[in-house]
Amino acid sequence: MGPNPQLEATIDKILAQSEADLLSGLRRAHAEAEEMLSGSRQAMEDEYDRILDDGKKEADKVSRQIIGGADLRARNRLLLLAQESIARVFDEAAARVRAADRSGPEYAALLEALVKESVEALGTDGVTVRAAGQDREAAGAALEKFPGAELSPDPVDCLGGVRAESKDGSMSYDNTIDSRIERMKPLIRKEIAAKFGMGGGGG
Amino acid sequence: MSGRGGVQYSRIAEIKGPLVVVDEVESAAFDELVEIQTSEGEKRLGKVLEVGNGKAIVQVFEGTTGLSVSGTSAKFVGKVMEMPVSEQVLGRVFDGLGRPKDGLPDPIADRFVDINGEPMNPEQREYPRDFIQTGVSVIDGMLTLVRGQKLPIFSGSGMSHNILAAQIARQASVVGSGEEFAVVFAAIGVQYSESEYFRRSLEESGALKRSVLFLNLADDPAIERIITPRVALTVAEYLAYDLGMHVLVILTDMTNYAEALREISAAREEVPGRKGYPGYLYTDLSTVYERAGRLRGRPGSVTQMPILSMPSDDITHPIPDLTGYITEGQIVLGRDLFRQGTYPPVNILMSLSRIMKDGIGEGRTRADHQEVSNQNYDAYSRAQEVRALAGIVGKAGLTGLDLQYMGFGDDFEGGFLSQAVDENRTIEETLALQWRAVSNLPKAELTKIKDKFVEQHYKERRAQG
Repeated sequence: MGPNPQLEATIDKILAQSEADLLSGLRRAHAEAEEMLSGSRQAMEDEYDRILDDGKKEADKVSRQIIGGADLRARNRLLLLAQESIARVFDEAAARVRAADRSGPEYAALLEALVKESVEALGTDGVTVRAAGQDREAAGAALEKFPGAELSPDPVDCLGGVRAESKDGSMSYDNTIDSRIERMKPLIRKEIAAKFGMGGGGG
Repeated sequence: MSGRGGVQYSRIAEIKGPLVVVDEVESAAFDELVEIQTSEGEKRLGKVLEVGNGKAIVQVFEGTTGLSVSGTSAKFVGKVMEMPVSEQVLGRVFDGLGRPKDGLPDPIADRFVDINGEPMNPEQREYPRDFIQTGVSVIDGMLTLVRGQKLPIFSGSGMSHNILAAQIARQASVVGSGEEFAVVFAAIGVQYSESEYFRRSLEESGALKRSVLFLNLADDPAIERIITPRVALTVAEYLAYDLGMHVLVILTDMTNYAEALREISAAREEVPGRKGYPGYLYTDLSTVYERAGRLRGRPGSVTQMPILSMPSDDITHPIPDLTGYITEGQIVLGRDLFRQGTYPPVNILMSLSRIMKDGIGEGRTRADHQEVSNQNYDAYSRAQEVRALAGIVGKAGLTGLDLQYMGFGDDFEGGFLSQAVDENRTIEETLALQWRAVSNLPKAELTKIKDKFVEQHYKERRAQG
């Protein structure tokens, strides 16, 4: 049987068509694969950036926690140490006041000033004054200038100074050295702390 | 003040609620600090409310429980209540009256400042501007907090306002300026568990270092609550105007403050105003809120975020109503969003930051910020309408565009509005999420944004739903 040109032409046509379809399919698949790859690359890069950002944020957070906590602990420790030292300064000052010589004219003048201040604060001369046991004599002398004032026989347990009370008992004024220290303590504390190099710079 | 402080009076005429009436007082002054001493030697603080006819009415901060007319004395200290301030207050925890609550001694004071503050010279006030990043997308993106602004959060009982407050306190910062930032957090009448949550939250995040906490607990005397915001603001003003810091003051819960004010008013037998609150509630609230701001020639700022829980979620209640008159906008938490588990449940359609425009834009946040925010507002409002319509006609009755708006609404709430309690988003992330949400809509719908921004940031997303 001889060659059949018609059949061969048909076969060639089909082969060419198939080849074209195949090549086109391959090209399309290649293009799709490239597109997917580039999309994935972008997604991967985005994900990579996101993970890096999250990691950086987490690292910042942890570093803030560690540094913040340590800084705070150090600051608090410093404050406690300063407080201990300030308390020692107050104790030492109290001890020195207690041991101070009270026989001189300065102390008499001080007591007189304290009585005057108390009388003025209460707004009346008619006061009963109480003083520390060791100050009774000096206080008695100071009261000579205040005719309406009288010295109470009951002593006050204090470093020094006086406590005055109106005769009807409705008003009193604590002008002992202890109460004056207590009133001024926050300011004195600041001064002491400044000597240790602590405290704010403002005035 | 009285001629010379320190006189102690022992004639107590009457004890009435939180008030003590002292008789035969020679000299006392309005607002003067008073030390009340019981017969057992216990000392409580108070202040003079009224003086006249030889009597002084003293409001006792720590309550009058256990006080009796005989044996109680009142010492008029001769000065108003002062708060010791210095940089050392940072990192400290105080009670509602400004006394240390963290077991440490008093901070070493730089100055002692009257807690009522000095009135700000209106001429010296500078307009609030520049941005405070809270790390919470809905606030930074759509209700931006501006330095010097007062922006309250209106919430309801049981909602997540305290979690949000703690998150803001932990995360808030001024970005990129290198300026110092501090948070003053005043908890007013909160439960113990909440106060511990605030304290732990700041401690564990390392944010306590740049924060000051004032904790007035629910079982502390109600009257202390009058003082708590004032001591907190005194510290904030010092940090801002003396040390040049940008300070964010968070006051939670101002409703408890107003309740304390009502209690005192009732004890003074004043004519009650709306719902029994005193007629001067507005004036009193303004003495707290108006302490926010910036001063010309001073580098720092005081920004306030008062939080108040609206009784019965009623926004017309006197407290939110009067607060709204004084402040510059409001952030409203929505019960519906809260119930569906959205955090933070901010109802943006009821919320507004009036001066947001002065804190955002080119050089502050980003040039497209205002426009993308407006577009989100607009689209969310439309999404809510579409949701309501879908509730009647069903999804099948909606157009394709309607469905896209619904998709936007879901993405807005799920992606932008919702965030984790410990998630701190930068402004760039927030703006990216806003763009992501509006990218659910066709380009033609973005009518509030300039084309150049749309070209730059819009990435079309497939229609949802």
